[in-house]
Amino acid sequence: MSGSDDVSGRRAEAVVRALRPYVAPPEEDEPPAGVASPAAPAPASAPGPGPGSGPAAGPVGEPVRRSLSVRPFLVTAGRVSDTDRLPLETQVITTTAGLDALPALTFEQHDIVAACREPLSLAELAARLHLHLNVVRVLAGDLRSAGHLTVHAPQADAAHDLSVLRRVIDGLRAVPDSRGLTRDNNRPA
Amino acid sequence: MTTTALPNPSASGAGRPPLPVKMVIAGGFGVGKTTTVASISEIEPLTTEAAITEVAAGVDDLTHTPHKTTTTVAMDFGVITLDPTLKLYLFGTPGQDRFGFMWDDLVAGALGGLVIVDTRRLDDCFAAVDYFENKGLPFAVGINVFDGNLDHDLDEVRWALDIPDSVPLVMFDARERGSVRDALLVVLELALQRAEEE
Ligand SMILES: Nc1nc2c(ncn2[C@@H]2O[C@H](COP(=O)(O)OP(=O)(O)O)[C@@H](O)[C@H]2O)c(=O)[nH]1
Ligand SMILES: [Mg+2]
Repeated sequence: MSGSDDVSGRRAEAVVRALRPYVAPPEEDEPPAGVASPAAPAPASAPGPGPGSGPAAGPVGEPVRRSLSVRPFLVTAGRVSDTDRLPLETQVITTTAGLDALPALTFEQHDIVAACREPLSLAELAARLHLHLNVVRVLAGDLRSAGHLTVHAPQADAAHDLSVLRRVIDGLRAVPDSRGLTRDNNRPA
Repeated sequence: MTTTALPNPSASGAGRPPLPVKMVIAGGFGVGKTTTVASISEIEPLTTEAAITEVAAGVDDLTHTPHKTTTTVAMDFGVITLDPTLKLYLFGTPGQDRFGFMWDDLVAGALGGLVIVDTRRLDDCFAAVDYFENKGLPFAVGINVFDGNLDHDLDEVRWALDIPDSVPLVMFDARERGSVRDALLVVLELALQRAEEE
């Protein structure tokens, strides 16, 4: 697993840069009237040193454990993405157009497109790239719109689909334990 | 939330990905959730942060609507590639009082849940049990055998937990892959049985 913390500073900066267009006043649920349009800069009245408040690479927003110091609402309140409610296990795959565009992409977009040569879930992407899940959702939505990624939501009724459940059961039965025994070797069904 | 796969603006070069399915591993702090995920995951458990919505107890004075706030919680997850077309994701979530939060985002579409219990702190799991019951999610309660002692009286534990007979109660060892696999299979078999009855 890649994903070291030594680059988190650079990543934080880069994400602030990538997200600046989306910065909106910090009201999670009900952005006040006149919420910043995607292109508008953060209002000067935004409390706290928000990402849009200056070029400083220092602390931005509230300190969030370990991960980025960019609060998710800064992204999601700015505009609505149709990927913003996608389940964690949603699969994301890079397209050939995305590969072609790699050199032109910014840090996070670059990292996402590069990582998804193999299908990855949104949750894995967030963890590997040290990004908040909602940031990944929005960036993935942008990249999908640009044709750089395809986004595959899970089958919504999988939990009620007999054939899916049977496949999962069969697949899991075949997983060997630490002595190499499958469930069926161990205890015949 | 749309229930169908999103249209692909450009599918060129991208094949159909594996079908992702998920199960939720819940329980109080230190009961062995991360250990459980690590035992069976093919990747080292990763931690990510998910935003969850909390409906606060109070009601806004002016609008008479419940306060909603978004909180971020750490959550670890692992994955098992069951075959090239099927991936099982496991999400380990902190339980305890945090199940006062709305976990709908997390459990939506989950095949089932495993609530892990440490017999020394039984009440840590009540919130998770209640939550899964309310959601109608198929789940089992797994007693993590920290002490290696498989002799707990299951009937006594079931009585203490106050769970109905319809909820499977199993003993397992979070450090042993086969044991975790079998506990998950109990959940899945319950899910299958329920789906067959639908
Ligand atoms: N002896 C023993 N220790 C365990 C077992 N399961 C977990 N642990 C330990 O208990 C501690 C908490 O486990 P962890 O998986 O981190 O719990 P979580 O908070 O639910 O994720 C860790 O130090 C584990 O190594 C077990 O079955 N036996
Ligand atoms: Mg843990």
